[in-house]
Amino acid sequence: MRLCGLAVLPWNKHIFVMAADGPEKTGEEGAGGAGSSTGGGVRFELEKETELRFEVEAGERVQLELLSGLAEVFGSELNRNKKYTFGPGSKIAVFTWQGCTVSLTGKTEVAYVSRDTPMLLYLNTHAALEQMRQQAERDNERGPRVMVVGPTDVGKSTVCRLLLSYAVRLGRRPTLVELDVGQSGVSVPGTVSALCIERPADVEEGFSVQAPLVYHFGSTTPGTNIKLYNKLTSCLAEVFSQRCEVNRRASVGGCIINTCGWVKGSGYQALVHCASAFEVDVVLVLDQERLYNELKRDLPHFVRVVLLPKSGGVVERSKACRRDTRDEKIREYFYGFRGASFYPHAFDVRFSDVRIYKIGAPSIPDSCLPLGMSQDDTQLKLVPVTPGRDLTHHVLSVSCAEDEGTGPEGGAGRRGILESPVCGFIVVTSVDTQAQVMTVLSPAPRPLPRHTLLIMDIRFIDLK
Amino acid sequence: MADASQTRKDVDLGFCSELLSPSELFAARSRSHKIPVRGQKDFIPDGSKQQQERLERSLEEQWTLLSEERVERLGNLVKAVWIPKEGVVELQSPAGKFWQTMGFSENGKQFLLPEEALYLMECGNVQVFYHELPLSIQEGYERFLSRDTLSLQQYQVFGHLKRLGYVVTRFDPSSRIPSQYEQQLNLPQVSDRPGRRLKRKRSLSPASSQTDGQEGQVGEKMEVEQCQMEDQKPDSTPEPVCTHSRVEEEEKKEEEEVEGPAVRDPAEMETTADCRSWWVEKKADPELRSMPCSGPRWDFHSIPFPDLGCRGRPPSLAPPDPALLPGLLSVGRCDVAPWLRELNKRKEHLSHRERERLRDRARYRRDVNEDREVRRCRNWADYRQLLEKRSQCRHRDRPAHLWEGKVTPLVQPGQYTSYGDLMNRTGVIQPLNLLEAVSRLGQGSEEFNIRYNVYQPDTVADYKKTSPGKPYSRMCVCSFDSPVPDLRTLKLLACQSGDVPVTFAVVDHGDISFYSFKSFQLPTDLPH
Repeated sequence: MRLCGLAVLPWNKHIFVMAADGPEKTGEEGAGGAGSSTGGGVRFELEKETELRFEVEAGERVQLELLSGLAEVFGSELNRNKKYTFGPGSKIAVFTWQGCTVSLTGKTEVAYVSRDTPMLLYLNTHAALEQMRQQAERDNERGPRVMVVGPTDVGKSTVCRLLLSYAVRLGRRPTLVELDVGQSGVSVPGTVSALCIERPADVEEGFSVQAPLVYHFGSTTPGTNIKLYNKLTSCLAEVFSQRCEVNRRASVGGCIINTCGWVKGSGYQALVHCASAFEVDVVLVLDQERLYNELKRDLPHFVRVVLLPKSGGVVERSKACRRDTRDEKIREYFYGFRGASFYPHAFDVRFSDVRIYKIGAPSIPDSCLPLGMSQDDTQLKLVPVTPGRDLTHHVLSVSCAEDEGTGPEGGAGRRGILESPVCGFIVVTSVDTQAQVMTVLSPAPRPLPRHTLLIMDIRFIDLK
Repeated sequence: MADASQTRKDVDLGFCSELLSPSELFAARSRSHKIPVRGQKDFIPDGSKQQQERLERSLEEQWTLLSEERVERLGNLVKAVWIPKEGVVELQSPAGKFWQTMGFSENGKQFLLPEEALYLMECGNVQVFYHELPLSIQEGYERFLSRDTLSLQQYQVFGHLKRLGYVVTRFDPSSRIPSQYEQQLNLPQVSDRPGRRLKRKRSLSPASSQTDGQEGQVGEKMEVEQCQMEDQKPDSTPEPVCTHSRVEEEEKKEEEEVEGPAVRDPAEMETTADCRSWWVEKKADPELRSMPCSGPRWDFHSIPFPDLGCRGRPPSLAPPDPALLPGLLSVGRCDVAPWLRELNKRKEHLSHRERERLRDRARYRRDVNEDREVRRCRNWADYRQLLEKRSQCRHRDRPAHLWEGKVTPLVQPGQYTSYGDLMNRTGVIQPLNLLEAVSRLGQGSEEFNIRYNVYQPDTVADYKKTSPGKPYSRMCVCSFDSPVPDLRTLKLLACQSGDVPVTFAVVDHGDISFYSFKSFQLPTDLPH
């Protein structure tokens, strides 16, 4: 049990467990033996319905090549003889339904073949969802709306990606709704977003992010402002329903909702709220039976709650690791994938040209509130922020809300800001209080498209 | 005794009206006619033999009483025929003494209302035939008491009052509400239109008002049947009805409706009667009835999800149709069982408080689907509507002047100079008269309406059906389970009743208690 202490490297633990199992042992060894060094790379022969899992060492890159057979990475098929490069810290699983040969070049922290994968269960889940889409198409109704829930690090995002890729490979147009504010797969952290999926995820980059619908949340845990979180969920649901009304294909495709790993207390309530807002038909619960039972109890009978196992390959990420991923995501927003494709602009913005708000006033103890006031009002309140030195390195969302007549006291305008999507993000790189200007990093040259900025708790230091 | 021809006819009719030999008759006559005394109730079983014996004895008494054969003189029995379409009983032979206080005539025929017929059957004054066969008292209960005529509770109140000697007639809600001016003048009401009044009586029941619209009635009945079938379905298996079959069903229904009334009339009567609608004391909820009876949109029995949490799942899933899979994959069966051990791998860290809260929730939170109304919801729209309705109900109980608007002191300094004004201001509940300001209240509730006019026993001698005069009281029948009527209902009823007091007959499993609400004046301590 000594190995259990190495929580950072659960794959080691996995191997340890496998080795302890008698019959599995030979399988693992056989599979491991398949990895033989030839030329620049290590060859792996995969039997049908097995999976090669590998993790790239920090500061290294690994190239993956499919030599023969068919294989897929999280639902996206690999092209034969094409080299796929994975950056440091990547955790990849190459799965094959038919059997294949792949080669890995570069330093992997760990690489092994496992035959214990729940892919068949996930595939059956996809088949059931596809059956629902066919029925929806036939009856001229809306397709399945699926919510994927579970604690942190059980592979929610991966399951979402898998199901979306499979659906889009069959010609569907599903929508990904990203409610995980900590590890958003679509936009920068601290946002909730929806993305229409039109092609399978790129093996290296993930889903192509074109014209996503993004709302500002401002923090990496929904707990900081659960009222706002629920409100944004409702906003997204409303927009998605509107889209379904005008776009038949989107309606049949349905949506797959990725949620936060916070499944206790208000986090759980937020899940129930989300199910109701999106009128979900299916809830996929990963790994946790407690959550499954509670949802079965609290959701009406016409919602199908399904318990699925998590994949043994899912890695528990440390706090630092999550922070790095977040940073990487923001960097990707400004500089493009692997920092190679975009060139952001830096320019000065005068304080007088913009209005900066924070959503949610600090909460006051109930006993200090005036009679008849409730805490709800403060959580959705827009608080004007006076620009100062402490603004440095904060990420700001540029709100799509119209600028006209939105003074801090304009009641209608304030509502609009909360509920309007974000058109882009900037990072404050430095503040000059004397000259009353701040320098910002922006994806587009000046001027800013809108002048209402919302401040996030998230900071980004542009080091590279 | 009955004459020869009468006897022969009765023998032809068969089993029910057998003739007794003199000795049997004598025995029947000399039987004691006492009803067993209902003494003190024992509430808690103490396990003693004495108590058990007492219980058995009184049960025995009840059974013998119930199974006792009724012996009546054939000559005293008035013959009548049950007409289910109109919900009345038509007399075939001359009426007896009861005609003074019961029944009505129309088009030269004499009719009894179902409750009257049933009461007279119980008293042994009337023999009712249906399809040429005499009805037993039990059959009378089953046929006469239905959603379209009256409920069991209403009949129990009727019978109770009749047995006590009161004259009980149906209240006609369509009688004009007297204006306040008329009330002040105390003008006599409606008595100037006696004939119409009696005819109008029958229009009380919803079905009989529709008798001219035959098809409509049949359609409605069928819908009721359908709903009842839906009710009987075990809740645990949601019916796999997809939208197709619903359309088909509706088409079928339409077809049946077209050929309905002529062909399936007798059969239909049978089925509705078999439903024993009086027995399931159903307060017809119009909203639930009007809902189309079909299952949720997705039939998850035919959409196989690999659900590990579902008990009693098949051990393995059949291979999915390759057409559903990307790249026309074909895979084998999916074995679920080994994955059961692979659950809950990610350990959950719960603090002590969270653990406690979870335990409480598991203990006290009910499964939302235990609620029948929730089970009836077919989609989120229905469900949210239900939740909305419930939350509104919850908020309606709060008086608006205490919960809404700004909270301010009731009295500002210097506002009032006399104690009287001050007391008026701080009196949160204003005095009101039951009969005042009713016009803006709108429609009354479904649950409470006036059912009977009651006249005192000592007026029976000079009671005339054509001019009944002012009743002693008006009776409103309600169940012990139903809520206490709110002020709005009280005012509406009082207004309908005019200057006649309204009494509430509250039925608790056959025990009837009477309640009434009286206005009173609060004493004022301070001079104004």
